[in-house]
Amino acid sequence: MATKQVRYEALVKALHSDLYRYAYWLCHEKQVAEDLVQETFLRAWRALDSLKDEKAAKSWLITILRRENARRFERKRFEMSEYEEATIIDTHSTSSEQEIENHWLREKIAQMPEEYREPLVLQVIGGFSGDEIASMLSLNKNTVMTRLFRARNQLKEALDNEPKLRGQYNG
Amino acid sequence: MDDLLFRRNIYADPKTTDPEVIAAKKSDPAKQKFAQEIEQLDQHIFDALNVRVPEELSEKLILRQSLASHQQQKKSSRIKLALAASVAFAVGLTVNHLQFSHAYNSVGDYAIAHTNHEAHYFTNTTEAKVTLASLNKKMASFNGSFTAELGELMMADFCRFDGMKSLHLVFKGENSPVNIYIVPNNQHLAFMEEFSNNELNGVVKNFKGSQIIVVGDKQEPLKQWQTKINENVRWSI
Repeated sequence: MATKQVRYEALVKALHSDLYRYAYWLCHEKQVAEDLVQETFLRAWRALDSLKDEKAAKSWLITILRRENARRFERKRFEMSEYEEATIIDTHSTSSEQEIENHWLREKIAQMPEEYREPLVLQVIGGFSGDEIASMLSLNKNTVMTRLFRARNQLKEALDNEPKLRGQYNG
Repeated sequence: MDDLLFRRNIYADPKTTDPEVIAAKKSDPAKQKFAQEIEQLDQHIFDALNVRVPEELSEKLILRQSLASHQQQKKSSRIKLALAASVAFAVGLTVNHLQFSHAYNSVGDYAIAHTNHEAHYFTNTTEAKVTLASLNKKMASFNGSFTAELGELMMADFCRFDGMKSLHLVFKGENSPVNIYIVPNNQHLAFMEEFSNNELNGVVKNFKGSQIIVVGDKQEPLKQWQTKINENVRWSI
């Protein structure tokens, strides 16, 4: 029991931030993301004995979280609304240029199709390789690499084409 | 590696470790510049994706887990307690059933079994030592008494007659001891006036509130015993 507790706490401490961020980009709502992470860790606790390889913990947790997220849509279909701009995280300080750019980029990422955003989040936040993302999302690797390419390509084009728009946030 | 493929690779994974892509990057300054641009973009993407994690989320997660597992433990200990109680209850019922259920159906069956079971304690030569007074003292709990001695009384004691408190008397008989049982009237042993097996005979008579059963060997004049009892017994109610 004690060792299980220790394992669990280590898992929470090491991975809750990544998991929360992943959940956030899946659902775009802070509260929902937090609930998802809580649900995920509760399930993880119950199934902790089935986790043999600690290195696989992150992808294991992400798999649980994706399933939880899918269940959420089964339960409450009405919540499956399109992304709304009002729910995007408001940066706490818009003073620095970096924050402004982050805010702008966040909106761009949030507007991106889900199928592009998810592999990007897994790669950049999760640090997973193309192969790992492919197996987590049940896709083949070429598809994943193509989506990653398109995701960055879209963001790059947006950045190159709309420099003036960013300025609006200065006011 | 052509430019298009190189760009595709870099876009798909700026931190690629593919040796071909790395070699291409080194050999061409334009490619290197492009790669740097995308790395910069990726840094921006990383910053943008890195949303703030709620403070104390990890504490919340640990707390919720310990609450949940505490509840689970409570639930499981309740289940265990209920299981133990059920088992104890079942054991109790079984013991009760074995101990107090009636294995014999009729007065005769039980009386013969009882007599045989205790036969080796008594022989016809045992000295008679129970007085009428001490017999009547015992008879008092059946609200009865005897006005005269029925014969030579070797033993008088309370015993369990198929679970019921009864008085067991052993008299000296013609050849072997005669057993007389005074038993409260009851429902579960069928009444029969006479009974026998290949060694013993028995007669039963119903009195007010009690039955008197006489068991003796084949030579014993049981009817005489019964008559003598009939004449001498008095019931107070």
